[in-house]
Amino acid sequence: MDFTWDNEQRRFRATVRDFLATHLPHDWEAHAHGPGTAWQSAFSKRFCGQLAASGLLVPHWPARWGGRDADAWTAFILAEEMWEAGEPRGGQYMNVNWIGPTLMRFGTEAQQEAYIPPIARGETIWCQGFSEPEAGSDLASLRTRAEKTSEGRYSINGQKIWTSYASQADTCFLLARTSAGRNGISVFLVPMSTPGIIVRSIPSVIGEGDIHEVFFDNVEVPADAMLGAEGQAWEIARAALSMERVGIPRFAFATRMLHRAVESLQRAGRFEQGAIEQAARARAACEAARLYSYAIIDKRRHGVTIGAEASVARFATVAAERAVGEFVVEFLPEALSGGDPMLLAHHQRAIVAGIASGAAEIQLNLIATEFLGLPREPR
Amino acid sequence: MDFKLTSDQESLVSAIDKIAQGFAAKPTDFHGFSLVSEAFERELEEGGYFDVATIPEFGHLGAAMVVERLARLPFTAEVALSLLVRSNLPGEWPRPLAVVERGRPGRFVATAKTILIIDGDAIRVLEPTRTQVERVESIFAYPMGRLASDANGTLLSRGEAATVRQWLRVALAAEASGLLEATVACVVDHITQRKQFGRPLGTFQALRHRMAECAVLAGGVKWLALKAAATADPADAALAAFHAQEAATRVVYDAHQMLAAMGMTLEHSLHLWTYRLKALISEQGGRGGQAAAVAQECFGGRVLV
Repeated sequence: MDFTWDNEQRRFRATVRDFLATHLPHDWEAHAHGPGTAWQSAFSKRFCGQLAASGLLVPHWPARWGGRDADAWTAFILAEEMWEAGEPRGGQYMNVNWIGPTLMRFGTEAQQEAYIPPIARGETIWCQGFSEPEAGSDLASLRTRAEKTSEGRYSINGQKIWTSYASQADTCFLLARTSAGRNGISVFLVPMSTPGIIVRSIPSVIGEGDIHEVFFDNVEVPADAMLGAEGQAWEIARAALSMERVGIPRFAFATRMLHRAVESLQRAGRFEQGAIEQAARARAACEAARLYSYAIIDKRRHGVTIGAEASVARFATVAAERAVGEFVVEFLPEALSGGDPMLLAHHQRAIVAGIASGAAEIQLNLIATEFLGLPREPR
Repeated sequence: MDFKLTSDQESLVSAIDKIAQGFAAKPTDFHGFSLVSEAFERELEEGGYFDVATIPEFGHLGAAMVVERLARLPFTAEVALSLLVRSNLPGEWPRPLAVVERGRPGRFVATAKTILIIDGDAIRVLEPTRTQVERVESIFAYPMGRLASDANGTLLSRGEAATVRQWLRVALAAEASGLLEATVACVVDHITQRKQFGRPLGTFQALRHRMAECAVLAGGVKWLALKAAATADPADAALAAFHAQEAATRVVYDAHQMLAAMGMTLEHSLHLWTYRLKALISEQGGRGGQAAAVAQECFGGRVLV
């Protein structure tokens, strides 16, 4: 067991930091950092293109797809630095974390050729069509239907909701029902320009353009838009979410924002007893989340199967986000009233930490059953 | 960064687990607070385990692993200070060690051969005479003792005292980590077996979620304690101790709620871990003291307390 970075890891982190220092615009922090805004999406295409050109967009991917087969630590160090900077990749973090790797694992040759290179060049935005009005945590109850037409195509009808990046996305990673039951759900890769798709932005406290309703009205896609086999969505989604749950080092941004808030209080002579204890609580929670996440990455690097500890890491991260968010609300509220766009951005991300990628309460259930070995709840 | 145990660390942990097997169960006729065993002490002493930190292959990280594993047992011994603090004292001092803060009773004080006397910013080190210490009855599940108020000792320099404080925090976190793990395991066992309303308590979501949160807290303490031992960074030590006391406060309460009246009995083992944790919660200034240390070490020291 060793808690120090080796020279190669240190060099890589320095390279990423140098890149950020060179390529982030001088007014980066002044922009509203809603990850789904039109500005952020346009910027992410420029920025991710530059990352790709420098070999820093998908270093952990296989060489065939533009990577260099770098290990799991490299991918995570990259993600830490990006999140700490406020995630200039915008919604494209999702592409490199799990959409690309999921396509590599489950996609046909044609699907891989069509979709992976644009991701590796940093020029495309995806959205994730999972949640529905009646299917949130209970994803298996989703109702969006994909019915085979007489021409062998699929006709998709239904509604998705809470869909991040939908108004800017080129392609949707869509779950739709092809038959009844839990094993009747399939994945479709649907260009968002397909006729019959209507996207409506939902005004929200988490920023402009982040969440949407997406309506599918007789949206026709060819049969080869299906990813994997018919009814394989559960397996594919589980694989994708396991990458997503520990792919976002939220603690990195939270830690930086906590220090930023403390420095503000110190400058104002307001870092006093109550604030000190809450700051310590938040800082310790961030560090615990960091180490839990590192333990997962280390397992991934050693090729060890990752189980419910991913949920443990995720919940620890939610706790850290919450602690930092609450610290700012309690001790530096002016930051959320025009005082500091980055602290506002953190607040907006922190409040969804326990909701996006599976509710924190679902994680607690998984921890109880699969990590602690408690008997299951009756259904 | 590599979290896999080295072969040396695996051997160490395996040897400790082998010793632990002999002390893994509370004797059925023991209905007290302080469960100690001369045989337990002797096995550790004869195996040289109190000097693990000074062996380069193991260092403080190996020592923290030993402390964490032994703290899971119903038996207790003065392990944490011997393994994690003693080698950081200036000069040679005999074990067992104990700490006396503000003149209060402390763990292992009556049997300690070296006592660290903490009074404000000052730390003194003393080899007490037998007449300077006495046992006291206590609800805390350690052998507790009191030091005579006129006892003095060698005053440490500011730098030496800072080092000692840092390693006291690591020792606290490592010990709390094992105690928390044992507490969680004990509760999981109980709510898996105990049925109410026709089904195990552990099937009720209200309890499942609380235990899951406790497990997350407990595991976090373990990682922070191991890191603090490995890096020897004062900031890591402060974070580990704060999180240990924070987690212990929550987990002790939830554990007793879930065991209800059974957890109040001396027949059950729960109090052996929870009342050790309560002792640790009270040490080194409690969470307020650790928070000040975190502010000093992590946030640049501009603290207005």
